[in-house]
Amino acid sequence: MNHPEPSLRNPSARTGETAAAGNPPDAAKYAFINEVIARVDGRPGALLGILEAVQERNPRKYLCADELSYIAAKTNIPLSQIFSVVTFYALFNREPQGDHTICICRGTACHTRGSRTLLESLRLELGMEEAPGQAGADKLTLTTPDGKFTIRTVACFGQCALAPVVELDHRICGHMNERALAREVDALGQERHE
Amino acid sequence: MSRIEDIGIFNAMREEGLAKVLPAMPRIAVGMGTCGRGNGAEGVYQALSHAIDRDGLDIRLAAVGCFGACSEEPLVSVWLPGQPLVILRRVQASDVERILNDLSRGRITPDLAWCKIEEWDHITAHLRYGQGFPELPLWSELPFFSGQKKIVLRNCGLIAPDDIDEYIAVGGYQALYKVLIDGKPESVIEQIKASKLRGRGGAGYATGIKWEFLAKAKDDRKYIICNADEGDPGAYMNRNEIESDPHGLLEGMIIGGYVTGASQGIVYVRAEYPLAVHHLARAIDQAREYGILGANILGRPFHFDIEMVEGAGAFVCGEETALIASLEGFSGRPRPRPPYPAQKGLQGKPTNINNVETWYNIAPIVLKGPAWFTEIGSTKSAGTKVFSLVGKVQNTGLVEMPLGTPLTKFVYDIGGGAAAGRTVKAVQTGGPSGGCIPHEMFDTAVDYETLAQLGSIMGSGGMVVMDEDNCMVDIARYFIEFTHSESCGKCVPCRVGLDQALEILNGFTKGTGTAAQLTLLNELGRMIRDTSLCGLGQTAPNPVLTTMRHFRHEFDDHIIAKRCRAGVCHSLALSPCENSCPLHMNIPRFLDLLKEGRADDAFEAVFLDNPLPASTGRVCQHPCDDRCRRQTVDSPVNMREVHRFIADAVLLTDRFEPLAARIAARKKAPTGKSVAVVGAGPAGLTAAFYLALVGHDVTVFENKAEAGGMLRYAIPEYRLPKRVLAQEVELIRRLGVKFQFGAGVGSAITLNELDEGFDAVFLAIGTWKESWVNLPGTELKGVLPALPFLESVATGTNPALGRKMTVIGGGNAAVDSARTAVRMGVDATIVYRRERKDMPAIKEEVDAAEQEGVKFLFLAAPHRIVGDARGNVRALEIAKTRLGQYDSSGRRKPVVTAEIVRLDCDAVVLAVGETVDLDFARASGLTLREAGTFVVDRFTLETSRPNFFAGGDAISGASNVSNAMGFGKKAARKIDERLMGAKRFAGLAGGFQYSMEPPETTSTSPRHRSAELKPAVRVAGEDEVMVGLTDAEAGDESCRCLRCDIRG
Amino acid sequence: MAQKKISIRIDGELVPALEGKTILEVARGAGRRIPSLCHMDGLKDVGACRLCIVALNGGRLVPACTTPVQEGLAVTTNSPEIAAYRRMIVELLLVERNHVCSVCVSNGHCELQSLATSLGVTSVRFRYRYPSLPLDLSQERFVLDHNRCILCSRCIRVCAEVEGAHVWDMMGRGIHSRVISELDQPWGEASTCTNCGKCVQACPTGAMAEKGWAVEEMVKRTAQVAGAAVRKGVSL
Repeated sequence: MNHPEPSLRNPSARTGETAAAGNPPDAAKYAFINEVIARVDGRPGALLGILEAVQERNPRKYLCADELSYIAAKTNIPLSQIFSVVTFYALFNREPQGDHTICICRGTACHTRGSRTLLESLRLELGMEEAPGQAGADKLTLTTPDGKFTIRTVACFGQCALAPVVELDHRICGHMNERALAREVDALGQERHE
Repeated sequence: MSRIEDIGIFNAMREEGLAKVLPAMPRIAVGMGTCGRGNGAEGVYQALSHAIDRDGLDIRLAAVGCFGACSEEPLVSVWLPGQPLVILRRVQASDVERILNDLSRGRITPDLAWCKIEEWDHITAHLRYGQGFPELPLWSELPFFSGQKKIVLRNCGLIAPDDIDEYIAVGGYQALYKVLIDGKPESVIEQIKASKLRGRGGAGYATGIKWEFLAKAKDDRKYIICNADEGDPGAYMNRNEIESDPHGLLEGMIIGGYVTGASQGIVYVRAEYPLAVHHLARAIDQAREYGILGANILGRPFHFDIEMVEGAGAFVCGEETALIASLEGFSGRPRPRPPYPAQKGLQGKPTNINNVETWYNIAPIVLKGPAWFTEIGSTKSAGTKVFSLVGKVQNTGLVEMPLGTPLTKFVYDIGGGAAAGRTVKAVQTGGPSGGCIPHEMFDTAVDYETLAQLGSIMGSGGMVVMDEDNCMVDIARYFIEFTHSESCGKCVPCRVGLDQALEILNGFTKGTGTAAQLTLLNELGRMIRDTSLCGLGQTAPNPVLTTMRHFRHEFDDHIIAKRCRAGVCHSLALSPCENSCPLHMNIPRFLDLLKEGRADDAFEAVFLDNPLPASTGRVCQHPCDDRCRRQTVDSPVNMREVHRFIADAVLLTDRFEPLAARIAARKKAPTGKSVAVVGAGPAGLTAAFYLALVGHDVTVFENKAEAGGMLRYAIPEYRLPKRVLAQEVELIRRLGVKFQFGAGVGSAITLNELDEGFDAVFLAIGTWKESWVNLPGTELKGVLPALPFLESVATGTNPALGRKMTVIGGGNAAVDSARTAVRMGVDATIVYRRERKDMPAIKEEVDAAEQEGVKFLFLAAPHRIVGDARGNVRALEIAKTRLGQYDSSGRRKPVVTAEIVRLDCDAVVLAVGETVDLDFARASGLTLREAGTFVVDRFTLETSRPNFFAGGDAISGASNVSNAMGFGKKAARKIDERLMGAKRFAGLAGGFQYSMEPPETTSTSPRHRSAELKPAVRVAGEDEVMVGLTDAEAGDESCRCLRCDIRG
Repeated sequence: MAQKKISIRIDGELVPALEGKTILEVARGAGRRIPSLCHMDGLKDVGACRLCIVALNGGRLVPACTTPVQEGLAVTTNSPEIAAYRRMIVELLLVERNHVCSVCVSNGHCELQSLATSLGVTSVRFRYRYPSLPLDLSQERFVLDHNRCILCSRCIRVCAEVEGAHVWDMMGRGIHSRVISELDQPWGEASTCTNCGKCVQACPTGAMAEKGWAVEEMVKRTAQVAGAAVRKGVSL
């Protein structure tokens, strides 16, 4: 269980955790959050919009505790409600994501064309074990210990005609097979992450 | 750009837009939907853009949406003023120079051209492109588009989605303008009600009535919401609609806002659809700029705005109350209804939610009237629906069809059926809320009511086609896994019930399930359906309940026999090849033993798996080839010919004696039980071998003079030399199997005598009666059934055939007969009513026959046999056939035409299939099927008479050698279990140590095939055609195996 | 606004009712027993446990707690099918987490336990999940034991609706749902908690309890908290 530190009421005083992860200085971050909140607050779907924007700005594409506390304080939304939302939707990450994201579609068309085999072989290839509690579950987000790759699944990309589909760093690749996927992942591994 | 304040500005805008859609210069439009991009459309666009700039060409280049034919992407449409719009398919960047070059000469690149559009009905406008290119088919003449009626997709793939001018050019926003000018919201609601438009999101609630609720609700603020959180796996029409025509959605919503009195619209769209989000955001901006959104829309006193919210990945948010909770900043957990959103929705205000596609129907209904709409579709379900036709069909894509269209139309006419060599088994409709419809029910009309009756739903329109490679238990498990992971967790039935359902289904796929669990699963499914809080839970059991209803036998296979025929459930199979083999040979094992150079061990392992390895190595239909994963690299491992090599190297050499001794040494201690096997064909020989191996006293009764059945008497010498079979039979005899030849059961010995003399009886009498066809002229001299013909050749008496012979049929017996005739110096023609690809015969044999000079006449059905005055055959008259509707085998039915062709010939061989000897079967007193085959328990092979088991063709109808042997092996196991009260077959063929390490490297060589004799040499004699793999070839072939049996 | 008086049929008997009331309120007011777990007087109903399902006009099953009465409505509160479904729901709750009554502070005073008894659930046909779940002892006065939680959300609602603190919420989804305080931190470190204990009293099982009690000793003052909640609701 990843328990954040308890004293969250004054996030601007906290610097340690996020600076170490290579984030921009907190002041700029909070200015950005303020700006997003000012833009959408009070409108339908505001909280989703805020969380999406803040996560997108994070270089590691995740939401950390101090960001959530800051949003709660600024919007007057209870902390527990924000945490409920963050953990409910598949798009939000609570952990830093890898340099490269490989997203395997688990839609029906992809499933009938072998996407589970792709997922299993990729997991083996990258030496990942099933996370505890995810045994047997298809929905997963796994990051390699070196932070290089994150494997995710998605319910459906809506690219069913190209099944099976894999998204490599936001590039859709259709008609995948194990060999082609291994090649693509190798190629990604060669790339330097800027 | 100015705001549209009056009709004058509106019309001017329209003219401007038309100059973009139909410019005074050529226009090239690249389909840049996500599907197109996934296939390289961006590269095509860039190459076009670069070339046009570089050469300063007067060409208008546009990026449009998707035209729906996903399997043909990237699509590019090309228009020359005055000419039809031509659609090019599978265009790559490298084609661009050719396309432009041809275009500069007024030509269309012929190999890329797919179809043309002369005029297009945008519903809101009619566009004429021009006429010409007579060599190209019209789009509507292509099978994929046949019968499609594009209302929702009216603009998709034809206009640029990021340019409001093009939307206005094709009649966009006219319906809105009309509604605002008329100023009668109630009459619009009446129109929508009269149109019988129903919600396209799944539940199918009448849209007009929903609108009326909202219109009547009194509040200072009301909302309308477009549900674009399309999360059904297998459905992507909403993505395409928004990507390709975002203004069509906006127009529907603005009209909806006006007539219901709402001031705010919200589009809740999946964040996983970045392109749709991008186009929609741009469309909203443009609409605001043009005065179509915001205050005083189109210069009228109406204020309305639309916002877009990106959903963050939760399928349950498709549920309207969950979607509202999500918009309010909560996790998307549904709330109980009542209160309904129309009373208390978003922020407690009256709210109406409709699916994307529903909104697209609004403008057409407003402009064309409800009567026009109700004419399309079926009585209760008016209009069209967009379906995503995906999975195991040849043509995939988005298909808009009138409601009520039968499923056959989708799967076969539009989808083109399964890939070659496969058959369609089922269609899954409605995604995780829907169900699987078996192919026997493909006449089903696709509308709300009919699908519901079958336990499925239409849902958002996903249509996933499954073939025999899909396991229905796995499909049920897959959908439960999906809904399980998408369940919000609020109510107990869905949260815990789906978890338990998944647990049970996982057990089935792993072979640990029980029949009691199947009953429990059914009860659990009904409980979840009847008591869950929201639509997700209420419909989640549908995939399980429908598969249990329509594919119960597959559940039984998994639970009782621990088998997955599709080979999907990995725990139930050693490897895909093993699973597909009727004998379940451990193929990776013998390949590895050979690779390790252990030829003797390899032989022993092969023979223990398959006691006729040299024969099957020659004549097996090799289903393993179709399953081999090496196919994803190049071509399947030639497993059949490798085990033939392993077997030949022993059976036909001096290694025979020592290895026969090794196998005989494995024989278990005598049990004191005796078994009679009736029939010495492949099924009988196999059963006899295994029964003897486990220590029973086995006697085989055979009415012919030698053992082998069809192998001996039907399959010609040039395919299977008799000495090879004889050696296999000899090895089986060495195990102590006794043979009584010329001992016809029913004549020489009765069933009652067998019952008295033996502890168990296995009936493997095969199918030795040639089916007769009702054909004028079959009484003539020279008309021969195939089996007696082949049998007489096999026993050394060649019947007189004259100079020319025709063979009727398309199976192996037909091909064997023709090739045998050719070897007798007779000119042979095979007449078959379907096409070559439909022939049941082994493809290699058909090819070999052709090389040897056998002629083929396809699409030809026998009409009558013509004789002369002396009663001799003179000719066969055939009626040409054409292919009609698809039948339940997924093949098109041959339909006889009036065209008669006469084929002169001296003999006609009928090879139209074999059946059981009905006289014997009836006399047996056992329960029979209509065709005369024995009724047996599918899992134990027991007949209706105690201690009598049956297998092979006698229960399945004419099949093939390996299937018959599979039955023989299974019967031996079941008989032994019955006699000994224990499962003694496990480990029977074990005891071999071999590498279980994944191979570091595999051979990079392509598939090795046996060398064959030259056709001229072959027809001169009876020598075996296939000479077999060489030592080196077989060794290398075994190194091609990827070792699927080794798992991480 | 005065509520209109109507009458409905419950198991065949005419019962007077006020429009706007739920079936559960009317039925219980008339002395009928309908089982429930997630319902608590004074809190907003969520229809989560589905134990209070009743048949409407002999057909569709609806939760009594969230379905308002209507003139002429005929409600069936029990039938072989309804009873079987209720038993199955209790079975599912029993296998979901680690309900080991013999070592539970609420043994003998547990709503889930007494429901199982009254519905005749003597064995379960499903596989026990035995999830590995934490025990939160960080709060000075109270204990949170996720092993006993049935996710009825009464604690969440009483805290948000009555106490106004909104310390609690539900994280995750599906079978992985779990009650959390603030950002899933230990209860004792939740700065918004007022230490009022309403959540503990609202909890129907031994998932939330006061410290210091041994097995079978924790008796909840649920009715007292519910009474306070109703009074608060009326005063609003």
